[in-house]
Amino acid sequence: MTFPVTATSHTLAEYRARGGYQALDKALRQMTPQKVVAEVTTSGIQGRGGAAFPMGRKWAVVHPNDGQPHYLCANADEGEPGTFKDRWILENAPHVLLESMLIASYALQVRHAFVYIRGEFDEPYRRLAGALEEAYAAGYIGERILGTDFSCDVVIHRGAGSYVCGEASALLSSLEGKRGYPRNRPPRLTVRGLYQRPTVVNNIETLSNIAWIIANGGEAFKKIGHEKDPGTRLISISGHIERPGVYEIEAGYPWRKFIYEDCGGVLGGHALKCIIPGGISTKVLTGKEIEPLTLDNPSLQAAGSSMGSGGMIVIAEGTCMVRLLQVLVRFYHHESCGQCTPCREGMGWMHRIIDRIVAGEGRVEDIERLYQISAWNDGNTICGMGDAAGYATSGILNKFRDEFEYFIEHKKSRFNGTLECQRSS
Amino acid sequence: MPEIFINGQSVQAERNQSVLQAALANGFYIPYLCWHPELSIAGNCRLCAIQIEGRSWVEIACNMPVAEGMRILTDSDVVKEYRKSIMQLLTLNHPVDCGICDKAGECKLQDYHYQYNGERSLSRDVKVHATKFHPLSERIVLDNERCILCSRCVRFTREISKSNALGIVQRGDQSLVRASEDHALDADPYSDNVIDLCPVGALLSRPFLYKARVWYLKPTRSVCPGCARGCNVQIWHRKAEWKLNALDPKLNARIERVTPLENGEVNGPWICNKGRDLAQIFERPRAEQAMQKGKPIELTAAIEAARRLLEGAKRPLAIVSSWGSNEELAAFKRALGGRVTALVKQDWQPQPGERIEDDLLIRADKNPNGAAARAVFPQEDDGASALPADADLILVWGEGFDFARIPRGARIVFLGSYLQPENGHADVFIPISVQTERRGHYTNFEGVVSAFEPCFAKKASVADAETLFAALGAAAEVHA
Amino acid sequence: MKHLIPEFEKLRARYPAGFESSLVLPCLRRIQEDRGFVADEDIDGLAGYLGVPRIQVEEVLSFYEQFRRAPAGKCQIAPCRNLSCSLLGAERIVDHLTRKLGIAPGETSADGRFTLATVECQGACGSAPVVVVGETCHANMTPDKIDRLIESLT
Repeated sequence: MTFPVTATSHTLAEYRARGGYQALDKALRQMTPQKVVAEVTTSGIQGRGGAAFPMGRKWAVVHPNDGQPHYLCANADEGEPGTFKDRWILENAPHVLLESMLIASYALQVRHAFVYIRGEFDEPYRRLAGALEEAYAAGYIGERILGTDFSCDVVIHRGAGSYVCGEASALLSSLEGKRGYPRNRPPRLTVRGLYQRPTVVNNIETLSNIAWIIANGGEAFKKIGHEKDPGTRLISISGHIERPGVYEIEAGYPWRKFIYEDCGGVLGGHALKCIIPGGISTKVLTGKEIEPLTLDNPSLQAAGSSMGSGGMIVIAEGTCMVRLLQVLVRFYHHESCGQCTPCREGMGWMHRIIDRIVAGEGRVEDIERLYQISAWNDGNTICGMGDAAGYATSGILNKFRDEFEYFIEHKKSRFNGTLECQRSS
Repeated sequence: MPEIFINGQSVQAERNQSVLQAALANGFYIPYLCWHPELSIAGNCRLCAIQIEGRSWVEIACNMPVAEGMRILTDSDVVKEYRKSIMQLLTLNHPVDCGICDKAGECKLQDYHYQYNGERSLSRDVKVHATKFHPLSERIVLDNERCILCSRCVRFTREISKSNALGIVQRGDQSLVRASEDHALDADPYSDNVIDLCPVGALLSRPFLYKARVWYLKPTRSVCPGCARGCNVQIWHRKAEWKLNALDPKLNARIERVTPLENGEVNGPWICNKGRDLAQIFERPRAEQAMQKGKPIELTAAIEAARRLLEGAKRPLAIVSSWGSNEELAAFKRALGGRVTALVKQDWQPQPGERIEDDLLIRADKNPNGAAARAVFPQEDDGASALPADADLILVWGEGFDFARIPRGARIVFLGSYLQPENGHADVFIPISVQTERRGHYTNFEGVVSAFEPCFAKKASVADAETLFAALGAAAEVHA
Repeated sequence: MKHLIPEFEKLRARYPAGFESSLVLPCLRRIQEDRGFVADEDIDGLAGYLGVPRIQVEEVLSFYEQFRRAPAGKCQIAPCRNLSCSLLGAERIVDHLTRKLGIAPGETSADGRFTLATVECQGACGSAPVVVVGETCHANMTPDKIDRLIESLT
């Protein structure tokens, strides 16, 4: 998917020079919508927003010819801390996204497709809006695309600052001009979504693979990577790492190679303490645990974690995990929408406990309480945010309980005060 | 009709029911806070979760459609532990100021805490504080610390009264229920229903605030006389054993508050604010003294004087009250119907600012029994036209009659409940009881009959219209 | 807000029919861009124009991070303090700004020039630590770079 990035590589002209919009042409002229869906299902592609739900299975729920409008919504709310690969796509490959969205809209009988982009994305929005204009001008979007019967409009809808709007049902709520309140299921969004119509919400990286899948076939896609995690995916890596950035890998890629060769190793040559592999809502793995793994879900899930949104955060030896968890819990508390009891009350409670520990007023029962609140949120909330906070918390407590016990007993961190990597070794 | 199993027992559910609805309909109680049969499903309190046999986790029942063969457990150990955890979280930031909260005694949080073995808070941290005594409207006070954000009140204003007057601002545990800044809640004539809907002491009635503990009071069924809908209500007043030691007896015989009495055929579980303010109708200064041209006389003497006037009248005309009960109207017809021409008036007209009519409850006819009255006496008084010039006796029953319309020379017998200047102008004035002092029935505009019971005793000097008519229509007693 | 109606009409035409409610977000953004914040009369105007309940606009304004109902300082500075940025010095940056501007996060300087805030993850962790100034996300910031940035803006 990636290509050499220049000042103009995101433009329509250069995209077309790389073969852009040929897949759209192929889909509209040579394939039926059902064939497109079948190709996507064959590919086995899983969602790259964090939930890894098989795309074909999601699409299959939408009934063709049910006489009502269908909607497609590309989720560009990228808010999972540590994740910035969707930003890369929007800034550098907006046409890949647009072409893929058009193919998806054709497959799902969508007349109006949306990109929900987080309000904080300034440059990505400008690039995408520019690409949209180019595509309209070239006749790739709008009425009777490429001279066929297929018409489709794309609207960019900007968010306004809310992490929970990355959750699909909250996203639709925000798209409807309301607060970002997630919804209970049933009904699934593919049955009743935007304004109660069948709606498919897909992460933009996931969608951006569609053009390739149609151009090269679902079978070809399945051959890349791992049968249970096909295709390539974009990893965002940041934190205590020499060369942070977005990298394209395929399942089975050894983690050691990635960190120490491709990304230059831990910042300042420090020892690795741990990694949060897939955005802060995935469970932390110690350096020792992650070394033998490969960058894919089967490998990480076997180790008790997940690839999540692919947002890898590297943490060097000497970092205080209590202070680290404080940052995460503060975040979840701040972002809770407030609808359901366990998350609304639980996030604040965890935050107050952690703040107290960091202030030197921790109590012995605080650790069990954090576990308990995490468990109370697991599976008992309207959306996955409660669960996520629980995974982040229990994951860190599982691996670094001793640091918390130390902090509570000695009223200070075992390490120095800041989270910054100690630049001088 | 799907068959499901609750705690091992077979239950016939209905096709579109949720597990919660099926359970409640069949005698299995599952606690809930945010769900309400008349409102959309919110699924935010998370209290109603149950366990499907074979699974180790719980799922909310209010949003779970019934499926053939489903087996659920409502009281397993898993469910019990889960409920305790939700109670912990619900009360985490709750002020637990029951000692000064009007909701005590009818509060779901209290009830569930005891029923489901709630325990002391596990938190050793400060509670989140929020606004207390927030004036949500002129009639409603909001305590955000007690609020559990179930959103029932918000959903009511969106889905039922459609005023869109309430919302939730901010987010997370800083969320606050608020009224829209254009005072739409003050203009919503159904606003006070959110007080009943609120499962905790967050939304309280300002007129009722701190008046009485609810267990000092008992409800008596009645019918709101505010319009022809005839919403069924509960009038709450002091129990005998909880009477105040007060010099003024009125303090122990007054309407403390009015709440809806659910009637699926009439008003569902709602009433409008006019029905909440029945005290403003029934507790206006009362007429308690019979009079003859303004001079006080004994009730029996007044009745006899009125009887003689009626007996001697050549063209008696009666202006019938549309607030008379079915029983009073029947008695009138029996006793006087043959002899007197009767016109039914509209005792009350819509007041300025009052909603005339809508799709929910409010009717333009602001009288409770006009339909029944007009069924008995088909002729109506339009409130303006000249009365027949040869009418020599006008019997006025109830309020809202313009005495200037009475033909010159005609005698006036006036039956009324409230102090009015006209009471002194009548040839005979007889004070009569009000609805809260007797039992009876009203028939609403759709023909549905509803009953009301007495809350208070009438004074001895005040007559009951029902028995009064018989006396007025009787032939003269033969004196030895 | 009236002068923005022609723009709103164009925006409305891009959304499908019946999507008036959706326009609450983009219209509020435009109003705030224009005025610097959203005023009470804008709420009435927008609710009336779109035919949505006033409470919906009030709720949206209070729910989302980026909307404000009161003017902010001429220059709004907001470092991110989420994980990757913290791992690369965000706390030092917050302290530096607090000392330099003499205000705590959430406050506006007395002369109305600066509002200091903190934000959560901006999705630019590869170039952490980031500082959002106005609508722009500035990457790879240090206290020195911030000083130079502030100088260039004032």
